[in-house]
Amino acid sequence: MLNKIYDWVDERLDITPIWRDIADHEVPEHVNPAHHFSAFVYCFGGLTFFITVIQILSGMFLTMYYVPDVENAWKSVYYLQNEVAFGEIVRGMHHWGASLVIVMMFLHTLRVFFTGSYKKPRELNWIVGVLIFCVMLGLGFTGYLLPWDMKALFATKVGIEIAASVPFIGELIKILLAGDATIIGAQTLTRFFAIHVFFLPAALFALLAAHFIMIRRQGISGPL
Amino acid sequence: MSNNRVSRRQFLNYTLTGVGGFMAAGILMPMVRFAIDPALQTKAEGDFVQTSQKVADITEEPVKVDFSYEQVDAWYTSEVTDTAWVYKSGDSIVALSPVCKHLGCTVNWNSDTEHPNQFFCACHGGRYEKTGKNVPGTPPLGPLDAYEVSEKDGFLLLGKKIANNLA
Amino acid sequence: MHRGKGMKFVGDSRVKANNRMVNMPKDYSEYPGKTEAFWPDFLLKEWMVGAVFLIGYLLLTVAHPSPLEGPADPTNASYIPLPDWYFLFLYQLLKYTYASGPYNVIGAIIMPGLAIGALMLMPFLDKGPERRPSKRPLPTVFMLLSLAAMIFLTWESVVNHDWEAAKAQGEIKEQVDIEIDETAEGFLIFSGEQGKSCIACHGADMQGGGAAPALVGNELTAEEVAEVIKNGRGAMPAGQFAGTDEELQVLAEFIASLKAEE
Repeated sequence: MLNKIYDWVDERLDITPIWRDIADHEVPEHVNPAHHFSAFVYCFGGLTFFITVIQILSGMFLTMYYVPDVENAWKSVYYLQNEVAFGEIVRGMHHWGASLVIVMMFLHTLRVFFTGSYKKPRELNWIVGVLIFCVMLGLGFTGYLLPWDMKALFATKVGIEIAASVPFIGELIKILLAGDATIIGAQTLTRFFAIHVFFLPAALFALLAAHFIMIRRQGISGPL
Repeated sequence: MSNNRVSRRQFLNYTLTGVGGFMAAGILMPMVRFAIDPALQTKAEGDFVQTSQKVADITEEPVKVDFSYEQVDAWYTSEVTDTAWVYKSGDSIVALSPVCKHLGCTVNWNSDTEHPNQFFCACHGGRYEKTGKNVPGTPPLGPLDAYEVSEKDGFLLLGKKIANNLA
Repeated sequence: MHRGKGMKFVGDSRVKANNRMVNMPKDYSEYPGKTEAFWPDFLLKEWMVGAVFLIGYLLLTVAHPSPLEGPADPTNASYIPLPDWYFLFLYQLLKYTYASGPYNVIGAIIMPGLAIGALMLMPFLDKGPERRPSKRPLPTVFMLLSLAAMIFLTWESVVNHDWEAAKAQGEIKEQVDIEIDETAEGFLIFSGEQGKSCIACHGADMQGGGAAPALVGNELTAEEVAEVIKNGRGAMPAGQFAGTDEELQVLAEFIASLKAEE
């Protein structure tokens, strides 16, 4: 049955080469931890992606309860953490995943740096990778505010002041982020929420797609 | 391909599916349980709510009784006002919910001049007898819900909504 | 099965001149050693690593519930904020003389900007064909130095932070709902002339403030309360109460009576 559906679609869209390309491509020995244990350093990129997937999923589920509003944000987080079954786990996954994603991404960056894999012809992919790094840091920064607890508010105040110290356009960036020239409050929270769940993830998806397409195009860099 | 022997590639595919299934389950199980939690939470027993209606004043004629109670909706607690149609039937007191069983509009007593002494829903012309039984041939498919009734210091108390078991 | 074969499109623009489809698997025969197919051989290994990683990760989430501090209170002026751990080195950087005050823009913008800019432009700064770290000493040394700086700054910020105080200031305060009998003799003393310095810190509603804890819902006996009023405790100085000893006794008993109901 499934085979029939597949054949029907394949006959029209020729989808086989798409997945065969992914499935059949050869993986060289020097990145395979089964052959050289030290090749585990090549796993960091994959693990980063793995946690990113977990982050996206747990984030989607968290928004079922979370409200981005100064009155209710903290209450809803408290509720989902303490009253909802597995709330502690799901929020824990998102919270610790945020840290782990930074760790794994950092290790991945170091691996690429020290194996010199960013050299020709992979310059573009390195730049995309650094952009992904920035987006991830942005996600971490905006996500820190959302529970609207004490550390969220005051850390964000500091963060926005830092953004405001950019020469010439600092004040503009501040208003753009905070939604108000003086108040860190209701509008800041909704803006950070929008940035955290829509704008940055959209950028992340585009960058990740570019990252992966380039990896497939160029292949993995050879052994040292 | 022979029928019984499992090729290396098949074996690897099975293992892959197993490990993949394990990871998917590990990730998704807590999340799905988290999402369906409202469906599995046990509702607290409905307490009786005090109304301002004196039991002695209730007659055979249905009257509208407003009552309000504290509704806890997850992290949001609010004061909700609800209504019941209350009348005396013999010795017992009957309190009917005004929510039409058709599509949830609000029914009124005796508001349709063509059909006196019936509950009438203005939305789609649904009608109920005084007992709450739906009049056949009108849109509603079941009788009006009733409230549990009690009394304290001469005032009417209303409990949780129960399905009306009129035949 | 002839999946994906024998298809013909009218005016097929996907077939390249050299007849090589773009999405055909790349051949790694130029690399020495054993290669293996991504699916299912290599992916299985990757997923086993992933599964082990996932178990550790789930154990972490179960063992350490994610922290949640009290609701944001913009009026609390004494709160010392701390960013998430991966921003700690930037936070620490801003504490140094030439990265703060009039030089703030150096620490907050120029240094991180240069670092991220250099990182991004790495392929164009380090253009040589050599890939081994030992064969390109400059990039390697720069990276190791910045790593050491980041670790050092993070370490400095951690040891210089008062974690005990941070924990206390972020605690979720239980809202204690206790009816205060405002006609009680004890309350009259508290709100009267004798208790002026009490109200200054603990508030007229006895709910406490930035500098002092709430009095309602305390866990002390009347004797202990009297002791604290006389001799002070923690940040509270001794001898603040201006009334007589009898009044102090009444006040102590009144405060001790403000317990949360079990």
